[in-house]
Parts: sequence; C-alpha cells; structure tokens
Amino acid sequence: MRPFIKYHPGRSFFHQLDPRAKIAFLLLFTMVIPFIRHIYIAVAMLLTVTALWCMARLPLRIMGDYLKMWGGLIAFLFVVQAILHPGEAVLINPLIPPSVPLIGGKGGITEEGILFAVLITARLLAIIPILPLVTMTTPIHLFVLGLVRLGLPYQLAYTVTTALNLIPTLQAEARVIMDAQRLRAFRAFERGNPIVRMKAYPLLVTPLVIGAMRRAQLIAIAMESRGFGAKEERTYIEDIAMKPSDWVFIGLTVAYCLIALLTNFLLY
Amino acid sequence: MATGEPYIILEDVSYRYPNANHYALEGVNLIIHRGEFVAILGEHAAGKSTLCQLLNGVIPNFQGGQMEGSVVIGGLNTREVSVAELAQKVGIVLQDPEAQLFTTKVINEVAFGPENLCLDVDEILERVSWALRAVRLRGLEERPPTSLSGGQKQRLAIAAVLAMRPEVLVLDEATSQLDPVGTSEVFSVVWELNQEYGMTVVMATHKSEEVAKFADRALILHQGRLIAQGTPQEVFEKAELLRRAGIRPPQVSQLANYLRGHSLLLSGFPITIEQARREIERLLEGG
Repeated sequence: MRPFIKYHPGRSFFHQLDPRAKIAFLLLFTMVIPFIRHIYIAVAMLLTVTALWCMARLPLRIMGDYLKMWGGLIAFLFVVQAILHPGEAVLINPLIPPSVPLIGGKGGITEEGILFAVLITARLLAIIPILPLVTMTTPIHLFVLGLVRLGLPYQLAYTVTTALNLIPTLQAEARVIMDAQRLRAFRAFERGNPIVRMKAYPLLVTPLVIGAMRRAQLIAIAMESRGFGAKEERTYIEDIAMKPSDWVFIGLTVAYCLIALLTNFLLY
Repeated sequence: MATGEPYIILEDVSYRYPNANHYALEGVNLIIHRGEFVAILGEHAAGKSTLCQLLNGVIPNFQGGQMEGSVVIGGLNTREVSVAELAQKVGIVLQDPEAQLFTTKVINEVAFGPENLCLDVDEILERVSWALRAVRLRGLEERPPTSLSGGQKQRLAIAAVLAMRPEVLVLDEATSQLDPVGTSEVFSVVWELNQEYGMTVVMATHKSEEVAKFADRALILHQGRLIAQGTPQEVFEKAELLRRAGIRPPQVSQLANYLRGHSLLLSGFPITIEQARREIERLLEGG
C-alpha cells in the first residue's frame, strides 16, 4: 500500500491555497457531513470531495487504497444498517420468525434500510479522504504554521502534525513486520479467514505499538534537544498570507455547507 | 589532546533508569576539555547512550530515573536547567537518522532549532547556511530529507544541531546504521568541526578504526563503569582489558599484538594502517 497522509508535491490550485483555508474546509466539511440525512446531498458531497481530489491532481490509486483499507468496515456497516434499520417496504422477509422473543422479526431487509445503508456509506466515503486531501497538499511546516496562525499554541500544533507524520512511518513499519512474518511462512493476513486474521493481529500490533512508542520518544528527545519549548513564541523562516483566492475558497466552502444543511433540512 | 579549559565535569555520577534494578552508570568521574575529541567505547548496554544523554540533560530531566552526583556543562548544572536551554551548549545526534528528521525540507529541518530560539529570520538563515556548508550539504536546501542517503541524513542531523551553535557535539552511535561510505562522511565532517571550529566532540561508537584515526582520547565503559581512558594508542594497547570489555581493537592493533606475542618487537604500537606500514617496514629493514 502506498503511503498516505504524507505531503505529495504539486502546483495545483489546492496546493497553493493558504493552509488556513484548507483547515477551514477540513473542519467545515467534517462537521457538516455527519448531519446530512438526505442521500442525494451526501452523494453530492462525496462527488465534491472526489472532484477536489482530482483537481489537486492527487493519484486516484491512493483513493483506491483508502477504499481497500476501509472497505471491510464500510461493508460491515452497510450490512448492519441494512438489516437493523426499521422500514415498511420489505424486500427480504425477516430471517427470525416474529414468534421468537426479543429478537423476533429481525433480519429482514427493507427499502428504507438499504437507503439508510447507502447514506451511511456515502457519508463515510466523503469524510475519509478529507484529511489526506489537506495533508497531502500541505507541507507539514506550513500546516503547523496554519494551525498556529489560527491560534493554536505551537507546542500543540506540532503534537498534532508529528502524530500525523508518524502514520506513514508506522505504515512502512507494519509492512516490514508483515514481510518478516511472511518470510517465516506466516500467511494469516493473506489467506486466513476473518477469525484467523483477528487472532493474528496481536502479532502485528504488539511490535508496531512498541516501535511507535520508541520512535515517539526519540522524536521527543530530538525536538527537545533542538530547543523545542524553550520560549513561549517561536519564529518561522516562511510565513503565510491569505490571498483573495483563499477568501473566495473559504466563502464558497461556507456557502456550500450552508446550502447543503439548509437543503437537507428542507428535504428531510 | 586536551586543548582548553575543563568544560564538561562529571563528579561521581551514577544513574538508574526508572523501574530498573541495576545502575546503567556507576561512579563515573570525568573531565572533558574544550576542543577535545573524545570517543566512548563499550559493548552493548555498557552505558554509552546513558552517558551521552547525561551530557545534554535528557537524563534526568526527560527520562526521569534516579541520578546521583553532578554533571556540569560550561558552568551549568544539568539538573538545574532544562534540556531546551542546554541545547545551546550541547547538541546531540542520535543513532537513528529517521527518528530525528521530522520536516519535509532540508532547510526547515536545519532551521527548526533556531526557530525555537525565536531568533530573527536573517540570523536563522545565516545559521542554516553555515551549518549546511559545514556538513557539505549546501545546494540540497529544498530536498526532502527522506530522499537523502543514510550518510547525508546523518550529516543533516548534525547540521540541525549545529544551527543551535552548541559548543559540544555529542554523537550517540551516529554511524552505527551507516555503510562504510556514510561512516567515513560523518567522521570526516565531525573531525573538520573539531579541527576548524574547535568544537568539543563526544562520540559513542563501535568503530575502533575511526577512533584510532580521529579521537584525542578514548574512554572504555564496561557494565556502567569507566574502566579505562587515555589516548587511543594507550587504550588499544590493553588487549586483555579490551577483550574483557567486549571491544574489538583496530585490525592493525590486533596484528601488532600478534607480532608482540611472537617476540617481534615493535618500537611503537600502531593503531592506524599508516603507522603499521611504517612499523612493518622498519621491522623488515631490520631483518
């Protein structure tokens, strides 16, 4: 799997936006999407995020990787919502006879259940690429600067971005651990059924967590050894300035979110 | 050898990590002079990294644990000042180059320290330029650190601490993950800093050949105790002590010990290839 979250250099309009404009987009879309109850609006927001991804000229295969990564969870949620969501228009009759106490009448699939499952899926698919869309188009030091200029203490801004930065490293380490296990004929992650895979996860997660803790400590030592936290304020060799295009982008994002919310409440 | 006044003073220092039963360092007394190049040798878990982290205050200020005795750097007791404050006196380079580089451009990596000191942008850029020139990485300012070779990454880590303008450079096994080319690059840069800028260098390493070539003084740590110190020549001559401490002397020193063992008397004790060549030529000429 290709590394995600990591900055992907480019010269697209999204790359050139001020980090604050992108952070505003990130916050607004991430907050608004969970409130969307109408399937068409959720799909419209998913298409908007996908269009922005394409306009940022980020490789679509990375988005494909996301689908692969989240595919299991999304499929699980789809099935659960489709089965459990109450509805009138029955497509498949309940698997459990109504005479069974407590759970009787469950296990059927209704049209409303399917639509709700599609809504949940569209919302998830729209939310998942937002953070990588922002982090992959913003160098980490400018992302920090954006957070600082928005009023976040720089120590906290660095904590957030260092944690984000650790994700591709952990991804690479997970790959090394799995390769090492594969070399010793351990193939539970490739060939095992879900239960075998679940049982195998501690073998991957334990060294990964220990390695992550060690690495986090080394980064903390390296940062503190370079005077991190010595002063209340710090200077930055690069600065950021909002351009008219950034204000236009923020305005459009706010307007889009307001229209989405308004339409949602009118239609629902 | 010692070129200046005492700058680092350790007095009866013992240290135990949190939840550990034994001391990682025990009863260490040590004086390092300004401008000296000191190598710390010892097998795994001998206390090399602990000693390095004592010098910039990471121990005990960051790691916690139980520390006895005192460490004074340039008149500052490490217990009384923060790691961030000490960073302007002592810069530390760690073993893993990946773990200490966390920005997306070489220039940002080097500027990170001076930015934390809240310096003017012009001053920061001047320091960045100087540090990159000192480690021979000028021209790579815009490159992502991930695209550099192992040796370049470690030189970048050195530049990142040099930009803090420390008086002491501590390298904690900074070449252990590098190939011979990378190792040679790092040692030659560190040696230049020591010779040209008079920077005090403390280097924990396993590379005895390079210690023989560059260091003024070698310290031998064994099970947390400082069991020997002296010029590399004096230290590498003590074959039995080195064997006990799990340290492999330079190959030419092993050869010299072998020759001595066979009653082939050498006038000196060679620790570098050049010295060995001269000794062997002398031996051959003498019949």
